[in-house]
Amino acid sequence: MTKIQIDKLQFRYPGTNDPALSSTSMEIKDGEAFAILGASGAGKTTLLNLLSGLLKPTSGSIYFNNEPVNTLSSRDRKLAQVFQFPILYEALSVIENLEFPLKARKFDSMFIKKRTENILGYLEITDLQHRRIADLSLFQKQLVSIGKSLVRPDISVVLLDEPLTAVEPSMKWKLRSTLRQIQKEQRLTMIYVTHDQTEALTFASRVAVMDQGHILQIDTPEIIYQQPDHKFVGTFIGSPGMNFVSARSLQSTIQSPEEAQEIGFRPEWAELSSEQVGDLSGTVKTTQLTGTTLGAPTGITWVSTNAGEVAIKGVLSHKPADYVSINLRQFLAFQDQKRITEITSV
Amino acid sequence: MAVVNYSVQDILDFNTRFFVGFQWYEQTLQDPRFVEAFLRQIVFSVSVLLIEIPLGIVIARGMPRSGWLASFLLILLAIPLLIPWNVVGTIWQLFARSDIGLLGVTLNQLGFSYNYTANPIDAWFTVLAMDIWHWTSLVALLAFAGLSSVPQAYYQAAELDGASSWQVFRYIQLPRLRNVLIIAVLLRLIDSFMIYTEPFVLTGGGPGNTTTFLSQYLATMAVGQFDLGPAAAFSIIYFLFTLLFCWIFYTSVTANHD
Repeated sequence: MTKIQIDKLQFRYPGTNDPALSSTSMEIKDGEAFAILGASGAGKTTLLNLLSGLLKPTSGSIYFNNEPVNTLSSRDRKLAQVFQFPILYEALSVIENLEFPLKARKFDSMFIKKRTENILGYLEITDLQHRRIADLSLFQKQLVSIGKSLVRPDISVVLLDEPLTAVEPSMKWKLRSTLRQIQKEQRLTMIYVTHDQTEALTFASRVAVMDQGHILQIDTPEIIYQQPDHKFVGTFIGSPGMNFVSARSLQSTIQSPEEAQEIGFRPEWAELSSEQVGDLSGTVKTTQLTGTTLGAPTGITWVSTNAGEVAIKGVLSHKPADYVSINLRQFLAFQDQKRITEITSV
Repeated sequence: MAVVNYSVQDILDFNTRFFVGFQWYEQTLQDPRFVEAFLRQIVFSVSVLLIEIPLGIVIARGMPRSGWLASFLLILLAIPLLIPWNVVGTIWQLFARSDIGLLGVTLNQLGFSYNYTANPIDAWFTVLAMDIWHWTSLVALLAFAGLSSVPQAYYQAAELDGASSWQVFRYIQLPRLRNVLIIAVLLRLIDSFMIYTEPFVLTGGGPGNTTTFLSQYLATMAVGQFDLGPAAAFSIIYFLFTLLFCWIFYTSVTANHD
């Protein structure tokens, strides 16, 4: 498989001022499950289309295994793509669809037979092989699309463009674990583009978070969650996202650096109490039950404080309109939207 | 109903008419001139379909999907469709004249002995060329609309698969074009089967009867000779054949699909 390097890659749609992708450099390792996460319009698809060769970069270069591929057309880049909606040859059968990319590239017929049989067995769709695509469910069609992207033995990378969008929610987890398993077993380089944080964080070993054409952070899901480099990453990841309050609004003893403008903390990094003094204080606005811990109801409590609204996860022991104080257990400090400290425990 | 009524009577004047049953139907079907016009009609319709449908698709595939050029070409294509049919006939009558017409003179200068008023093959060629010029646009416009409905991702996927241009057409575009092509074939089948004005203006059915199609023979019989009974029977048979061909075509393509 293939290592992908991107060097100062930039793209601007003709006639626009702001680049859809600002100068970006990164490396995706051979056999890595990599995710690109961002809201719609963040530039994810632009980056994907640059990789697939559908768009030509305004400047910068892309290398597959140290070979520049800027001048290669899509068909010569040896990649496969799974789209948001199943893109298949509707008039052909499942097996004919799987054979198509191999036949188009003149593989030996014995090899084609063996390879497609393997893929069918692998995805457990052998009994569907003679069905026409038009007769399949959406889920089955997307399985076949994935099969088609895996069928060529000579591909460098599989691009997945929000592959679970069209699949019904109850089937998503199944398809996701199938993909994850394939990626692990075959050691394929896969790039998974999505706006869904759960998909990105569970699928990938590293995640790139994008916003407005910039890649804000590339890290493991763990670090992305615990130590967001940028305020956007903190608020975008997590449900609800990280709380941000101005550093000056904290009432007590928290030792944050002089230059810190904002303090960020995850909803589970703080606790509520009825005491008069705390790092923050305010009145409970609403609560939302999400489950129980040892019989006690737990969930999210939204508190209106003088520094804005914050969400706290934990045991639900306060009712709306109650006066509460909030004590932080750990926090991060931010300046100009960027993180300036490691996790600091109180 | 009046036509059905007329078709079973012999009408001498407004007050004198006899019931004759299916006599006019039998007479029409046994009339050699009817049979000849009918065969001519089939050859004409089939030729027109065989040329216009593929040509229309080729034109639509060759057009850009968007931009000023696409708009310009769409308007250009629509022009022949906007010209009244008798004017189309007149245009070609002049265009193809071997003494003053651009086409006729050019062909003769190139060494072809071309005269559509004297030579049946030339007359056929001219009538076909006229119909193709007039109606291929319709097929092209319909096919263009059909092609516009193919999402870009399909072409992208085909590109990654390494599909050839023919495979893109065969497996992506043609299945999407199927429905508009059924409409195009039906429209062209019905229209070409009933063609009257253009060949009437261009050749008047000649030389001899070589370009006399069903509609023109019917008009001669009904309006020229005032044989109302036989003409009524003729038009009912004509109508039933048109219906039959459309039905055969439609059921065969839809049955084939499932």
